[in-house]
Amino acid sequence: MGRAGALALRIVRAFRHDRRTLALVVIVPLVVMALIGYLVGDNKEPLKVGVLTSTAASPLGEALAGQPGIDVVVLQRDLRGAVKRGEVVGALLSGVYLTPAAGAGLSPMCTPGACLPVIVVSGEDVQVESAVVQAVARASAQVQGTAVAPGELPGVHVERLDLPSGSRPSTISFAAPAMVTTFAFLFTFMLTSVAFLRERSSGTLDRLLASPIAKWEILIGYLGGFLPFAAIQATLVLGYAIVVLHARVAGSLWLVVLVLLLLVIGVVNLGIALSFFARNELQVIQFIPLVLLPQVFLGGLFWPVQVLWRPLTWLSVLFPVTHAVHALRHVMLGGEGAGGIATDLGALLAFAAAMILLGVLVLRRQRA
Amino acid sequence: MSTLTAAAIEAEGLAKAFGRTRALDGLTLEVRRGEILGLIGPNGAGKSTFIKAIAGLVALDAGRVRVLGERPGRRVAGHIGYMTQSAALYEDLSVLENIGFFARVYGLSRVRAKARADELLALLRIQAKARQPVHELSGGQRQLANLACAMVHQPDLLLLDEPTVGIDPELRRELWREFAALRDAGVTVLVTTHVMDEADRCDRIAFLAEGRVLDVGTAAELRERAGAASVEEAFLRLRDGERS
Repeated sequence: MGRAGALALRIVRAFRHDRRTLALVVIVPLVVMALIGYLVGDNKEPLKVGVLTSTAASPLGEALAGQPGIDVVVLQRDLRGAVKRGEVVGALLSGVYLTPAAGAGLSPMCTPGACLPVIVVSGEDVQVESAVVQAVARASAQVQGTAVAPGELPGVHVERLDLPSGSRPSTISFAAPAMVTTFAFLFTFMLTSVAFLRERSSGTLDRLLASPIAKWEILIGYLGGFLPFAAIQATLVLGYAIVVLHARVAGSLWLVVLVLLLLVIGVVNLGIALSFFARNELQVIQFIPLVLLPQVFLGGLFWPVQVLWRPLTWLSVLFPVTHAVHALRHVMLGGEGAGGIATDLGALLAFAAAMILLGVLVLRRQRA
Repeated sequence: MSTLTAAAIEAEGLAKAFGRTRALDGLTLEVRRGEILGLIGPNGAGKSTFIKAIAGLVALDAGRVRVLGERPGRRVAGHIGYMTQSAALYEDLSVLENIGFFARVYGLSRVRAKARADELLALLRIQAKARQPVHELSGGQRQLANLACAMVHQPDLLLLDEPTVGIDPELRRELWREFAALRDAGVTVLVTTHVMDEADRCDRIAFLAEGRVLDVGTAAELRERAGAASVEEAFLRLRDGERS
């Protein structure tokens, strides 16, 4: 026991002298739990659902407005355009809830015996879609006067603007962009940050900085060395999702590659820059959840960005993961071209440029 | 690069503090071209910081340093060989790959790098270890590989930070013979050590303590000035005189 006790004490003592590791031990779980706690809680922003003036005044419209987590936005016209432009996450098309008998012949969605409310969504966000469908279904059940039992909600017809009519994204198709992005980020960040930390702690970085090599040459060299490995990993994840799990890729695969390339370029340099703030591997490893988890939680991977508290959405706009996932969903699910994801591409390009700049600045500061 | 200046290194009033520790505290020293100058002093005397300042790795708080007539930096970096205190090598690469890499960093062509690596491996007698990854080498072999990397581009100025630490006496003698051969070929060698018996092998010695130069001269001059029988005694007397 004495020897084991000495070993345990040795570890505790080392932590006491390593303030940064100790701080991370406390900060990382708190940040992660605060985010999860907030995200699974009920205090999120409502989803905006567009309706026409006539619908707003109808019993269904009023019932929808009363649903928790839904904010009904009254529009004058062009509900589909509003969804396309992202002004609302969905729109309720049918103005009046029609009983099957009365509705027969009036709406294309009304068949003898059933008449469904029609909602329009982009089709690229399964979570948003399901939230809107649930809300409309509950409202519709309310209007019909039926008690709403979970799992027995009345039907809703969903029109997905960005998908071929009638098709519905599988869970894997929806998850694939998030998976590919997360793993590309994770693997690249782990590899580069640890490798660069070793470069510094082994003294080889001093040796490089004492040589005629330029700072930008070091960064480009690192990028060139890690890119093939990042590419292999991204290809494996993407390939597995497509070939084995049958994830959908409606758009250009080259565009998918471009998005991932921009992301990886930024992350290589982020790894280099952040490794300077770590003194040992233990600290670098702890940076991983600190850097990655907020992006995963706030980047629209599990919870749509639209439901986040306003300041958090601004934060999520700064995250490269948000843009990569958003762009990949549009390309892979919606078959969007480069023009459709120009904003995301621009954001990823800015991220890569900013990280290269940060890398150069941090390398300059390496001089004691 | 100016070839007119006689001195390889001119340092004037160098100061550098790390927090409350004054690593360099008004250090002034001139290293002549083509000499072996030994920096001798206890741990924490500022030897490594001075070497790093010459290599351009330290942002000085005060003072002026000229290396081969230039300010430390990329312009002059190609003419300096820097052997770090601990073997700064890529552990997963072989000795040959390490030498090859640093050769390329210093701008040697692939062919020239290969030729130079072979030369150095033969010179330092580590051909047998050429293809072995560095992490499999003994401490002494690492130091030799470390030295090979510092010499690969045939620098005019060689900065050696405690090159003989952890090396057996026989190999140490060989290394010093090599330093002398380099000096004879016109290379300036600035070497730090706290092993006093190495001092006699230097052309001149600078005693360093608390970030300053206490005295500079040949071993004989230093002994004479301090009225001491050995370099070690001379150093201790000088330092104690400084303190009192």
